[in-house]
Amino acid sequence: MGAIETSPERFIPVFDLEVTREDLDAVAETLRSGWLTMGPRTIAFETEFARSLDCSYAVAVSSCTAALHLAYLAAGVGPGDEVIVPSYTMAATAAAALYAGATPVFADIVGVEQPVIDVAHVEALIGPRTRAVVAMHFGGYAAAVDELADLCAARGISLLEDAAHSPMATLGGRHLGTFGLAGAFSFFSNKVLAAGEGGLLATDDARVAAFARSRRSHAMTRGSWDRHEGASEDYDVPGLGFNYRIDEPRAALLLSRLRRLENDVARRRVLTSRYRRLLQDIPGLIVPFTDEMVATSSCYVMPVMLAELSRQSALRIALREQHQIQTSLFYPAVHEFTAYRARYPGVSLPKTELAARSEVTLPLYSHMTEDDQDRVVAALAEEL
Amino acid sequence: MTDLQLSEEDIDAYLGVLESGWLTMGPRTRAFEETFAERFGVRHAVAVSSCTAALHLALRAVGIDEGDEVLVPAMTFVAGPAAVRHCGARPVMVEPIGPGDLNLDPDDAARLVGPRTRAILATHWLGYACDLEALEELCSEHGLILIEDCAQSITARDSAGRFTGTVGAAGCFSFFSKKQLAVGEGGMILTDDDAIADTAASLRSHAMTSMTWDRHRGHAETYDIVDIGFNFRIDEPRAALGLTRLRRLDADIAHRRSLVRCYRERLRDVSGVSIPWGDEDVERGSHFGFAILLDDEPTRARLVRELDADGIQTTHYPSLTALTDYRDHPSRPRTEELAGRHLLLPLASNYSERDVDLVATEVKRIMATSAAPAG
Repeated sequence: MGAIETSPERFIPVFDLEVTREDLDAVAETLRSGWLTMGPRTIAFETEFARSLDCSYAVAVSSCTAALHLAYLAAGVGPGDEVIVPSYTMAATAAAALYAGATPVFADIVGVEQPVIDVAHVEALIGPRTRAVVAMHFGGYAAAVDELADLCAARGISLLEDAAHSPMATLGGRHLGTFGLAGAFSFFSNKVLAAGEGGLLATDDARVAAFARSRRSHAMTRGSWDRHEGASEDYDVPGLGFNYRIDEPRAALLLSRLRRLENDVARRRVLTSRYRRLLQDIPGLIVPFTDEMVATSSCYVMPVMLAELSRQSALRIALREQHQIQTSLFYPAVHEFTAYRARYPGVSLPKTELAARSEVTLPLYSHMTEDDQDRVVAALAEEL
Repeated sequence: MTDLQLSEEDIDAYLGVLESGWLTMGPRTRAFEETFAERFGVRHAVAVSSCTAALHLALRAVGIDEGDEVLVPAMTFVAGPAAVRHCGARPVMVEPIGPGDLNLDPDDAARLVGPRTRAILATHWLGYACDLEALEELCSEHGLILIEDCAQSITARDSAGRFTGTVGAAGCFSFFSKKQLAVGEGGMILTDDDAIADTAASLRSHAMTSMTWDRHRGHAETYDIVDIGFNFRIDEPRAALGLTRLRRLDADIAHRRSLVRCYRERLRDVSGVSIPWGDEDVERGSHFGFAILLDDEPTRARLVRELDADGIQTTHYPSLTALTDYRDHPSRPRTEELAGRHLLLPLASNYSERDVDLVATEVKRIMATSAAPAG
């Protein structure tokens, strides 16, 4: 009871995961089956996920980083190539290019109101060594992948999508993650569709799907499940693969949660619209994207940008310590991290740097209450 | 071939974590690592997404890089040499000792040491320890680093009584669903070296200077990225499962050992069947698999076919040199010969002596017909 006395207000986390009875039953049933290696549940999840995206193939893997790596390799990215990536993203988008032996070339964002990759800057960066362009749908809001698809087609390079934030989001009625050669999704525990660790590569290209399936499990021509089902014991290894497998308990959890995803995202949209309404009168705050975009976004996070940059850190500390409200920072700029500065000095992306210095990520999850939302808004109003 | 039996305690542990709503590496992963390290009397354990990831990070952490060569057994699963290549280095294939011991031959390894050789990746195949004393000597003579691939050898001991995975600079373990300690997908790096542990822990999560769990507790406002890392994280449900299953590991392995003793007893005098390793090795081993050797590849093929017709599934490993992606590597005749005539009979914690009897009886029957003179 001491904790309640010293802390009158309940802690509001930046994200929260709600696991239902159905989820637990699905996992329990899988564990009792005694078969944990990728098998029927992984196949069922892949089939359902592909259907939810209206795309031909889905290949479940261990993480979105793994999905990006496989997508880059499938696009033929290799040593000496350049991959144009946003810097306003999680570092995996750029790191996966380095795994493939390529060089990430950082493009700026449109601006703090529209913190997604800038098509004009991408166009200016395309050179003779550019092999692929990667768009990241920040927060679940579409980057201009329709324009990028045209641009990449005209220049004979691949478009890939980092769709870590954006299951269930669309642009012009088409699912994000299906505009390019491949889309990489994340099922990390704070994501819209969460399973702890997990990822998926979506594609309409049969060769890309076959490549990803092969390389996620050491390029072995037969897997454990095939052999369990009576396929021949003899296998070959025709290429260099990885262990990027997911397992059956996580696939079962994802399949169960996928059934609720549409409702979860609908709820996130309602909460996001409500946030936007409540935040519009708070001075010194820029709420990125537009009211119209909410309806087609997955509303993964609720970013706000502070007009006064110097307040970013102080505001986050005040929210946590005075108001028991956790926030996050999506994202520090990748090109400003020590590891990237050392490799690629002199990269300057003013809009990305501005966003990285002004962003504060507010709490948002599908079962967030309006009361908690009101508390967040009131705390922000008070601190600003 | 092997099915996994999870107890209600295991299932409760996994579901309990899901109910808690915190799935990212946190207190359960920490507890799994600490318990694991303590179990083997080693300072650090770093849990990761797979043994392949563990091997990759261990090799990276000791500085294996482009242009380097790493000695690996030619008779092993492809993950070991793949991890060497993930570091940009080249695996160099070492022959096994012979039909009595299928692990890599320290003498052949010594012949293969060249100016670019930096490390030996010793796989303790099927749960039998390599000759670690000879390998240590070889490493100290040539200034090489010893990394142990313990994917199949958890709790196995070498002839000096030391746990595999505690002798080299790092030991790498697998928690894949067919392994003795299975959680689905998972792995672990065991090391006494603070720097290896720090590097592995950093690189498994994108070399970020603070983790989600620290930020959740309000310990960090932001983070830096100080190297090119990976997402090789495990998650809390799998860590919780590993922790509960670790408690039963010794009993499971004792059971596997009794099954292996039973196999050896039943198959001892079967003509055309020989059994690698000796009784003492069996006592020190942890028994991921049970191998027999037949006279030649056609005999093995016939045995596989006829056992399969009886509903008995077996398995065998190709020589790495037989794989398309490794065809630029020179032939390893001893490996290729043994790869062609070895066979792994069914072995799992939920098998009984009756199952072993049944398989052994079938092997005997099939071998007796094959041994009969034609006509």
